[in-house]
Amino acid sequence: MSDLKILAVDDSPTMRRIIINTLKRAGFTDVIEAGDGKEAMAKLKVETVNFVITDWNMPEMDGLTFVKSIRSDDSLKDLPVLMVTTRSVKDDIVEALQAGVNNYIVKPFTPDTLKEKIEQVLQG
Amino acid sequence: MAVNEKLYSKMQQEIFALASSVGEVVEKFKQLHHPLSESHERVPKATEQLDKISEQTEAAAHQMLDMVEGITQRESDIVAGLTELKTKLSAGTQDNAEAESTIDGLIEKADKNCNDAYTIMDVLQFQDITSQQMNHAAALLEDIEGRLDGIISIIHGKDSSNKEKKKSTSKRAERAYDPHADMYEKKTDQEMIDSIFSKK
Repeated sequence: MSDLKILAVDDSPTMRRIIINTLKRAGFTDVIEAGDGKEAMAKLKVETVNFVITDWNMPEMDGLTFVKSIRSDDSLKDLPVLMVTTRSVKDDIVEALQAGVNNYIVKPFTPDTLKEKIEQVLQG
Repeated sequence: MAVNEKLYSKMQQEIFALASSVGEVVEKFKQLHHPLSESHERVPKATEQLDKISEQTEAAAHQMLDMVEGITQRESDIVAGLTELKTKLSAGTQDNAEAESTIDGLIEKADKNCNDAYTIMDVLQFQDITSQQMNHAAALLEDIEGRLDGIISIIHGKDSSNKEKKKSTSKRAERAYDPHADMYEKKTDQEMIDSIFSKK
């Protein structure tokens, strides 16, 4: 079991449940959730989170804007962020990388890929 | 002569008025052509998205049914195995080595059920993907609706969109979707992503 606290951000409640269950199976039991970037930023202000998993296409504040907000906030700028999205166009991936995403997974993903990417990000 | 000049002048005015009307009609047709051709292009895209949703939900449903059929079959085997074990234990005819082997087999089946249950959960990612495809189709249909409203306005020469329609449009939720969202194999995409991130 890991003592890492993970924030899962996705506008789809189904996807949040899948991510949370996949994380729990992989040993990450401390997971909180948010439905969009705006709600996620609010949670990051009040909770200590060690890792963020975020979708891209979301209402209110999309994943890319959310990542840029994290990177421009002095208290959050080093927070590891993994993007999990359906967007697989090369330009989008490069844009996410430039925005400060640490790694990137295309949906639908496998539990092994999610675990592998989290570990890769944590190892730096 | 004076009468002819008057008639000529009147005819000239009528011809100018007619030419002006024809010009206006031509202009209106030009205005109609653009939204009509744009709408015409969007209909097949919306249809394509709806077909994709139908195909992908069916494929996901079949994949889940395959898993459920496997789980229920193994559950029956587990119940039958445990019942047999209990009967033999009650009768005192159960050999220890045989019991261990039976229990190992049952544990294996229970593990497989657990794995398949997780696989079903993975397959349920289709809901997020088809939801994005539906949002894309809905956005295309809303766009067509807007263009048709524009055409009606041109034909009637005024804003014919009624207040109720404007109200319902403004109530629509913000649609967040990826127009390329797809359930199909993404292995190549992930390899391409890994290659981009390995160079950072």
